Formats: sequence, C-alpha cells, structure tokens
Amino acid sequence: MIGLVKAELRKLFTTRLWWIMLIVMVVLVGVNLAFIIAFAGVSQNGGPALPERDTMEWAQVAWSVGSSGGIFVMILGVVMITSEYRYQTVTGTFLTTPRRERVIAAKLITGLLIGLLFALVILVFEAATVVPTVLLSGGEFSLAETRIPQVSVGILASLALYGLFGIGLGALVRNQIAGIVGAVVWAYVIESIFTAIPALHSVGKWLPGGAAQSLMSIDIDTGLGRPEWLPAWGGALVLVAYGLLFAVVASATTVRRDIT
Amino acid sequence: MTAIEIRDLAKSFGSVKAVDGVSFTVEAGSVTGYLGPNGAGKTTTLRSLLGLVTPDSGEALVDGRRYVTLPQPVSEVGAVLEATSFHPGRTALDHLRILCVAAGLPDQRAGESLEMVGLADVAGKRVGGFSLGMRQRLALSSALLGRPKIFILDEPANGLDPAGIEWLRGFLRHLAHDQGAAVLVSSHVLAEVEQTVDNVVIIAKGRLVRQGTLKELTTNGDTAIRVRASNAADLAPALEAAGAAVERVEDGLLRVRGIDAEAVGQIALDRRVVLTEVTQERSDLQKVFLELTGER
Repeated sequence: MIGLVKAELRKLFTTRLWWIMLIVMVVLVGVNLAFIIAFAGVSQNGGPALPERDTMEWAQVAWSVGSSGGIFVMILGVVMITSEYRYQTVTGTFLTTPRRERVIAAKLITGLLIGLLFALVILVFEAATVVPTVLLSGGEFSLAETRIPQVSVGILASLALYGLFGIGLGALVRNQIAGIVGAVVWAYVIESIFTAIPALHSVGKWLPGGAAQSLMSIDIDTGLGRPEWLPAWGGALVLVAYGLLFAVVASATTVRRDIT
Repeated sequence: MTAIEIRDLAKSFGSVKAVDGVSFTVEAGSVTGYLGPNGAGKTTTLRSLLGLVTPDSGEALVDGRRYVTLPQPVSEVGAVLEATSFHPGRTALDHLRILCVAAGLPDQRAGESLEMVGLADVAGKRVGGFSLGMRQRLALSSALLGRPKIFILDEPANGLDPAGIEWLRGFLRHLAHDQGAAVLVSSHVLAEVEQTVDNVVIIAKGRLVRQGTLKELTTNGDTAIRVRASNAADLAPALEAAGAAVERVEDGLLRVRGIDAEAVGQIALDRRVVLTEVTQERSDLQKVFLELTGER
C-alpha cells in the first residue's frame, strides 16, 4: 500500500495542476486576508465591526480565513481520480494493480496527505502575514488567550478531509467536468444556502461544509443568528463518513465497470 | 504450461455480442496473431484476459490463473493496449516511474525499458509532444518493466512507420524465439503480422473462424505459377501436352497449374523459349483472411 500511495503522489507531482492549485489557493487566502486587514475595526452601517488590528481577537478571525482552501483540495481530489479516466491512464493503473479497491484506498490516503500539505502551506502563509500585522499595529502576539491552535488543527483536519471527500466524489462521478462543477456548485451555492439561512442550519451542519466549519469551532455572527455547529469531533466524523461512503459506493459501482 | 488460455469466452455490450464463445491457446516461445476486422471482438477478448472487462461467461487465463488474482501481474504479463493512455503533461520517464513504484519494481527499470525501445533520448520530454509511433514504443516499454514472459499486445503496429513496423517485428520475434516468451498480438492489417507470427487465430463478428499455423493457412488449395515468356503462344500447348492447365492471362503471360516450376523450366528449355518470369503464386494470407471473415 505504501508503494501505491507513493505512485499516487508521483502521479500528482509529475503534472502541473498541483502547484497551480496551490498558488491560486494562496492568492485567494491572501486576498481574503487583505480585506480583513483593511477593514479591521471599521464599522459599516452600524453593523458588527471586525476587531482592531492590534488585538488577538482580530488575529483569530484572520487565522480562520485559511479554511477557505478546502475547495482547492477537494477539486484536486476529484481530478486525481477523474483525470485517470479522462486520459485513460486508468488502464495502466488497473493493469498494474488489478484489485481496484486497493487503488481507491491509496488515492484516499493520498488525498488526506495532500490536504495536510496544503493546510501546512496556508498556516505558514498566515503566520507570515497575521503575526507581523499584529506586531506592526502595536499589539502583542500571544496565543495564550486565543483559539488559534484549535483553528489551526481545524484547518489541517478540514483540508485533509476535503481531500478524502474529493477522491470519493471523483470515484463516484468519473467525469472530470461534472465532478469539478459539482464540487464548486456544492461548496459555493448549496452549502452557502444551508449555512446562511438559520432555518436550514439543522440540515446544514450535517453537510460537508458545515462539518468543516465545526472543526474550526469559531462563532461568526453573520447577522442572521449564530449557527449551531456539531462538536469538532462530530464534524470530523461527518467528513470522514462522506468520503468513505462515496469511496465504498464507488468501489461497488463505477470503479467496477468495464474499462473499454 | 499453456501461457494463455481462452475458453468459451463470451461478452455482450447491451444487445451486441462482442465476443461469442471464443476458445484458443497461446504457448510459450511463439507469436500468435489474433486477426480480424475492426469490431470483430479482438480488443474485448484481450481486455477480458487482462481483467479490465468482466466476461459474461467463459474463462480467460494467464499461466492458468485469472489476471486479477496474480500477485505480481506486471512481472508475469506485459500488456500494450491503446496508445492514447498517457497524461500529456507527464514525461515518458515519469510515466514509467509511476508504474514501477506501484508494481514494487526498482526505479531504474524505467530508464532501462525506455532504452530497450529506443526512447532513451526523449525520456525527459512530455508525452503530449510524442508522435503516435513514439507513444506505441512507450506503451511497449511499459509492458517490459516487469520483464514478463507473456505479452499481450492490441494493435501495437498502429501508427508506426515502415521502419517502426520492421523494428516491432524483429522485437516480437526476439521476445518469443530467443527469450521464450508467449506473444499474443492482435491486428486488422495482415501485412503487419504476416512475417512475424507463427500461429494465427482469426475472429469475425465475435466468433472464431480459423486457428492454425501460418503455413497451414497459406498453403491452402493448389497454387498457380505465373509464367512470362517471349513466345508464350508456343509454350502454352507444350505445357498443356505435359498435363498442365494453362490460363492465357494476357499476351506473353500464362498462369499454369498442375505442374511445378522445375517442369515449366525444363519444357521451356526443350522448346528453346526464353522465360522472363517464373513465379510461384502463393495464396496469401490477405486473401484467406478476407474469405474467412466474410469481407468479400
């Protein structure tokens, strides 16, 4: 199995998509951070303001931006499976490893590892931007009173599990365009609806996005009431369950199909 | 042991019977041509053999076992399927290194295998820029990674230029006759395999129509001799007198049956007729193939 995971990592690192996704993700997180830096302490139309830049409350809010990287890991996971069908490299993959469920298992593990890697990059990037911002604004950076360690663990866990989720989704749909469009629509449309509308929270917290939010366990008041998330461990379980459920269903259906 | 055994194999896609009760075997040390027109069921048979397609009934075995149960499939069977199955953004060497690590083979096999097919100097190039012929060679090098003793190749000559086809012929003969491998190679172009194969299996519309050695197939029926002579009109009656059936094809050209070439030469010498051509007509595989597969 170690050989198969190595093979999957080689597949990813010998093509260009992974670093393109990594750059786009860092840019997106950077843009979000820029807004949070710019609008710190600014109150608009009497709405709730972000804390001041020199406070640890602000640092905590800025830190949680990292969770937005999940979508990129998910797309990468989808592509890791669907590109095999698109370029028919799946033929060679299944000739080398005829027991196909082993291939899917190796890809799930690889998806987790890639999620962790991307999360580490985000955390380094955040440390390199948030810490100097606090210090330059005259504040003192101290983790003691913050939830930044928990948020960091949450980012690591949610990105890793998004990788798993993407693999499961990709195995199920096999079609690359459908897989990516499905992932984006799900993350930005359906999840947003279920997390933004209080009446739907009871469903939303069981969806992958809601589960990922609970890993961060941050209260963000959207002005529509505080969402009730699952406990962090519950969110992790929900994400793992989605990924494995997809992978198991896929192994029993789409993955077993004839390769012609 | 029989290297490859296909027994009563059947597979349908929807209402189309792609393969319908095919049986044949391939022994070590020989090249078997698996021939048939496009859509005859060749690819489905080979993919069933490799565990990519699940047959409806019957068995397809390598070394007496199903491919999917082999503990080290790449080290037992080398397969070349369609030449498009590469990621265009990946280099040739990386493509092979991925297969090496997945199969538990040492990485240097990748470079060695590229050298064996003459691609060593483009090892670091992206496959997207490769010609069809180069892709075929790359596919073949991936089949060589595990140094297997059984080779299954689906239309490996597709896209190769004449020099490439000549090279492939030599390579397949070398694998089978010098290294004792069992080679099963499919084709719809007979000229590609005619000079390579020892045995022939012909399939049409999913059914096996003929199986035998190449010799058995081509020496079918009586053969004619083409005779061109300066004075053919004079020669023809003399040949007929010797018991031959003579067909006057055109001025100066005869097709002679019933006697051999030496007898033709002797009669011509006796009659003092100058022969400009004496050719033994071979019933060629192409003709046999078209007749058997009902294409004509």
